[in-house]
Amino acid sequence: MLLKKRLIVWWNCLLIVGAITLVWGETVSAQRVYIDITQPSFERIPIAIPDFKRQTAEQTQLARDMGETLANDLDYSGLFRPLDPKGFLEDPQAMGLTAADIKFPDWRRLGADFLARGAYQVQGPTLKIEGRLFDVVGSRMVFGKVYEGETRNWRLMIHRFADEILYALTGERGVFDTKIAYVQAQGKGKEIYVVDFDGSNPVQVTRDNSLNLSPAWNSNGTQLAYVSYKEGGTKVYAVNLMDGAQRLICGYPGLNISPAWRPGSNELAVTLSKDGNPNIYLISSSGEIIQKLVQGFSINVSPGWSPDGKRLAYVSDETGNPQVYVFDVASGQKRRVTFSGNYNTAPSWSPKGDWIAYTSLVGGRHNIAIIRPDGSDARQLTHGEGSNEDPTWSPDGRMLAFSSTREGGSAIWILQTNGTGARRLTRSGSGQELPDWSPRASGR
Amino acid sequence: MRCDSLVRMFLILALMVGGFACAKQTVPPQPGFGAGTGGPSEGLGTGGPGGAGGAGLDDARWRELGIGSEQEKQEFLAKSQKFENEDIYFDYDAYVLSEPAKRILDEKVAFIKRYPKAKVTIEGHCDERGTTEYNLALGERRANSALQYISNSGVNRTNLTTISYGKERPAATGHDEAAWAKNRRDHFVLNH
Repeated sequence: MLLKKRLIVWWNCLLIVGAITLVWGETVSAQRVYIDITQPSFERIPIAIPDFKRQTAEQTQLARDMGETLANDLDYSGLFRPLDPKGFLEDPQAMGLTAADIKFPDWRRLGADFLARGAYQVQGPTLKIEGRLFDVVGSRMVFGKVYEGETRNWRLMIHRFADEILYALTGERGVFDTKIAYVQAQGKGKEIYVVDFDGSNPVQVTRDNSLNLSPAWNSNGTQLAYVSYKEGGTKVYAVNLMDGAQRLICGYPGLNISPAWRPGSNELAVTLSKDGNPNIYLISSSGEIIQKLVQGFSINVSPGWSPDGKRLAYVSDETGNPQVYVFDVASGQKRRVTFSGNYNTAPSWSPKGDWIAYTSLVGGRHNIAIIRPDGSDARQLTHGEGSNEDPTWSPDGRMLAFSSTREGGSAIWILQTNGTGARRLTRSGSGQELPDWSPRASGR
Repeated sequence: MRCDSLVRMFLILALMVGGFACAKQTVPPQPGFGAGTGGPSEGLGTGGPGGAGGAGLDDARWRELGIGSEQEKQEFLAKSQKFENEDIYFDYDAYVLSEPAKRILDEKVAFIKRYPKAKVTIEGHCDERGTTEYNLALGERRANSALQYISNSGVNRTNLTTISYGKERPAATGHDEAAWAKNRRDHFVLNH
């Protein structure tokens, strides 16, 4: 099946690309952090990325595609400002690859602080990419790496190069090898899709013409839990992305909705209404109830775990309208977090634990907001650009994906957590919603 | 003469391309939405007004309902059409039954008492505002409000089931209060 093959390619390719190493005579330690991105005065780093140099006659269009993909990655990270290649002076196919051949003064005049230079060789199914990062101001190479894999997986190899650039300059890993699951309205049904972080390579995961909702990645990115009506009412299922196999997790009477895998475990929090009230339960991956978490006489839905798996943010309407609360698993204590407005839903806890993102009804529109888990420092990130719902964090905590109707139909958008850099992830169509961001595939 | 320090050396590890064993199981075919019998949206009323026509009911089902004569059949079909076509409506983010909703439910109760073997699904729906998961819970509340009212009226719940569609199955597709008001509803389906 197509889905199975493409997702297997993803996982296998990670292993392949991960096996590559380098030795360069002039390699500078990649551990050195050039730029402190935590400074308030931080400005995007200007970087020049010429077309990659072709070293064989096959797949010549990759020269430009690779350069553009790398530039997009670095742009999407929010940390770089790729320069427009139209201003570059040298023919990228004639230009050299080593520090000795790079005309650093020219690149300095163009305003570049760094230069990412790539070359590639295609031999049938096999692709080798040499990627080097140069410090234009210091006229030296920062690092060089060789990536080798199947030609069809060239994007992933470029993502790895982008990640290495980010790590060398900031000391932080990027999210270029991550994916985002979402729901796509299709005919009378809704299907789960998975797309790369840069919007390329959408893959359909469910294919049953029923309503499939609320995809949720497990913590190593090998499974998605989701809600489906395919056997009648709502039940929670899991699809194994390694082999495409789908299985039922739980189908108790009443609601079986809003699955959320507990970080680092095989347990999930879900909302079940089997006893009348929609309460939040801790269940095993085969659906056995381990513990009742949040209970009461109100609606309790949409659990989102803290990164340590000890607390969860959730929605309750116990005051008469939906608000975000935090529940502590060990003590059983719950605490209201949102107090502003009368409709706050869909909480998502940041990977560093420092924020909870949620959907807040402001001025008749749903907007994305973030708040500290103790209820302080609420900040609104969108301001009525259509309806903005269901935020999910990137694994580095620097971005949020969410659904937005700002261009008409609902699409998945990505925003930096400082409120800048909005970009549309799902490139075409509409009816896209309920995004969930994968963990880093490489497990870093 | 000293060697140039810029001499570089590449070390490229051999790759294990093609060496990965992949499970080759196929995804089990899933039943399509409503493809099975008794799908939640299937009822006498599907196909539009007057669509029942008795076509969906065979002799065994008529016997099950305790209906024999042609006149009784026609009466049942007329009543069931009304039963399925009349929804009850709710206020925004609410599941309290209004007085008009209770009057309509009284008619549902009369129908169910007249045809106690009829199997009924109560669908709870929401308007498009608000997030998916909260609306799934709200839709269930709305369905349960009707279920509670009907069973409090002396009807056995055995043949009554509920399902929430949240905001997933709007009756009206607009994005204004007129459409939203039509979508905040309970819809009633006869399963035969």
